[in-house]
Amino acid sequence: MTKLRPKAESQGEGPDGGYGWVLVGALFVSTSLVFGLMRSLGIFFVEFVQYFDESAQAISWISSTGLAAQQFFSPLGAALCNAYDTRWVVMTGGCLAALGLILASQATCLVHLYLTMGVISGLGWGLVFTPMVATVMANFTRRRTLVLGLAFSSIGLSSFAFNPLFQLLVELYTWRGALLILGGLSLNIVPCGALIGPQRRSKAPAKVVSESGVSCASFLQRASSYLELPLLFERPYITYTLAISLLNVGYFVPYFHLVAHSRQVGFSEYQAAFVMSAAGATDILGRIASGWFSDLGHFRLIHLLSVWTTLAGVFIMLLPVSSLSGSYAALMVISLLYGFCSGALTSLVFAVVPMIVGVERMMGALGLLQLIESGAGLLGAPLSGLLKDITGDYTASFMVAGGFVVLGTLTMVTLPHYFSRKDPPPPKSLSPEDPDKGLHAELEQMHSSPSDMNDLTGEVTNNRLPEDTYS
Amino acid sequence: MSASWKQLSLQILLLLVSCRHINTKTPGPTPPPLIPIDQLPTDVRSVTLKGESHTEKVELLNPVNLTLECTWTGNQDKLANITGLWRKDGEEVKNSNQTVPMENDQYNLKRVFSIVNEEDLGNYTCEFGSKAKIDFVLAAPQIGNVRDKPIVSYVGDFAVMTCKMEETKPEPSTWYWYKANGTDMEQIIAAEETLRYEIKNEGRNTKLVVSSLVETDRGLYFCGAVYAISTSMSHVELKVISFLEPLKPFVAIVIAVIVLVAIILLYEKSQSKKNSTAAENGTTDQTNTQTQGESNAPGESSSMRQRKV
Repeated sequence: MTKLRPKAESQGEGPDGGYGWVLVGALFVSTSLVFGLMRSLGIFFVEFVQYFDESAQAISWISSTGLAAQQFFSPLGAALCNAYDTRWVVMTGGCLAALGLILASQATCLVHLYLTMGVISGLGWGLVFTPMVATVMANFTRRRTLVLGLAFSSIGLSSFAFNPLFQLLVELYTWRGALLILGGLSLNIVPCGALIGPQRRSKAPAKVVSESGVSCASFLQRASSYLELPLLFERPYITYTLAISLLNVGYFVPYFHLVAHSRQVGFSEYQAAFVMSAAGATDILGRIASGWFSDLGHFRLIHLLSVWTTLAGVFIMLLPVSSLSGSYAALMVISLLYGFCSGALTSLVFAVVPMIVGVERMMGALGLLQLIESGAGLLGAPLSGLLKDITGDYTASFMVAGGFVVLGTLTMVTLPHYFSRKDPPPPKSLSPEDPDKGLHAELEQMHSSPSDMNDLTGEVTNNRLPEDTYS
Repeated sequence: MSASWKQLSLQILLLLVSCRHINTKTPGPTPPPLIPIDQLPTDVRSVTLKGESHTEKVELLNPVNLTLECTWTGNQDKLANITGLWRKDGEEVKNSNQTVPMENDQYNLKRVFSIVNEEDLGNYTCEFGSKAKIDFVLAAPQIGNVRDKPIVSYVGDFAVMTCKMEETKPEPSTWYWYKANGTDMEQIIAAEETLRYEIKNEGRNTKLVVSSLVETDRGLYFCGAVYAISTSMSHVELKVISFLEPLKPFVAIVIAVIVLVAIILLYEKSQSKKNSTAAENGTTDQTNTQTQGESNAPGESSSMRQRKV
């Protein structure tokens, strides 16, 4: 059933169904095991502080290292997928992530944890996330954003499930046993990678076929093409990456400081924690809703993204204002709205990338994007912490964070063809068979009036029947 | 003359008592007070009762001559006299039975108690007939938030057990740790006993670190906050498990993953075998697939095949 599919997607448009949904399931599971797991590591921190007798700040570097490693090694993962088979890269990543956690269970000092849970697992996660996202995006065109939204909703859902699960594991087996079992759980990424099947994405390597021999120059040239480094010289990509980096500076601040801010304003521990949980719930809703809405095709993805980021920035700035009055309801409402907007923009951030760089270069583009935005993310939390230490409360931190998010939106506005009603064609690829024609035509059809959409739907439905006979 | 002899004999007795070796089986080797009873500090606690009963918590740190004063506004009977009585822990205090007259529309009971050591602490009750009573609960500061979940650690690893006295309560003079041995026999753990135990006392907190754990280390541990008057106890449970415990679910998960991957890869292999035979026969399949994609350059599929690494 599935072997004949690779021919259809070699153009970069996914068949939008059938086996693609299996891949969405695989992405759902692997994302939850990467980011959902990362988010629930807080349970271990209390144990680490007690066992290693270190400060909370030293312990928090573990998850910062893990996240930074995941984002730093993303281009490496993308390049390896361009060079080799995606499934083996993802399966290796899964094994590395599991290995990091298993080794961490034997740690005797804090540095061990940095190296194992931070670097090794982070490397594994980097080899998993970007390739899986790129694979799924390559398999879907019209439902791309919805599928991403569904898959990323796993982060919120799994952290609901993981928090009590990890707590139970720590109580039964202490953190060592719990980390060992987590390593086992992380191994479930390997079957997700195996589901990808051989050569499941289209990457025209024609440009590198001519290279032969193992000279240094040819290696560097191949590496740079696998990493899609030439992208760094293209204005649309640079602009977009800059916008997302600015977004990243402010985006995470509420996750770090909302609970502390609520407590400082005077609410109880449970009230503050509930605000955070509620924001997390609307986050999940936002991802799915925005994914579904974006794929209806009424607006360009970049416009929708700008709307969500502006709203998110505004709501971040309103967070300290709402609690000024001391009203719990106001804080709750703003937090819910913020959660919804931040989830909504997450689905879109990745989906816009193929619009800008084309589907073939998507893998490398995503990798580089992750790397560059990671630097910005590392800046955000310490900056907001510093502002809080200077001014004494979180108002300045939230204002600055929201400001960065809005600044990111403004940067996005400077993208070429921002104000046109239709998406511009992605840049010409260098492969001899010109896939752009097909891509361009497909994009035009996607973003034209709804009446055309119905024709397209009809077409796809008709075409789907032969598919079904294979399954 | 006899009073001073009594005092002297008491002091000699106290001196003898304090010379005993501290390795005792009873908890709380509180240093016995060497101050004569007359020279103890004094304190007063008064309670005015409006209803039928009331409980008053009294926190004591040091030996004290404590005056307990009870005032009752009376009930509708408004008797001229009522019997007043003191009890300690339910038992009547000798010579405390008296007749209490009503003065200024209330009844007054007052008595001085010498609270010197742990036995003197407890529940003191002043009773007005059988109609009203006030309970004074005399105790040293108790350790709050007792951890109900056991501390778990592995054989060969170390475990840290902590006890904390709340900020609102006064600091104990020192801390002691005990291990439950059998039903209620307890032993003091001294820091010099073995290298395995380490006690860190920091004012309000105390930590007991047990290294190189063995199975027999499991059980109940007691920490005692020592005050001049008595020792307040709290307990922590230690569980020691071997590394095989988490290994079982781990191995189960790994086996499940390997089986899953094997199934996926084998299924794919069988599918590709099926398709390679089918591809020879059915070219119609391929044309159908090509109409699927919005547009499709046949050349691209050949470059796909080229890419096998």
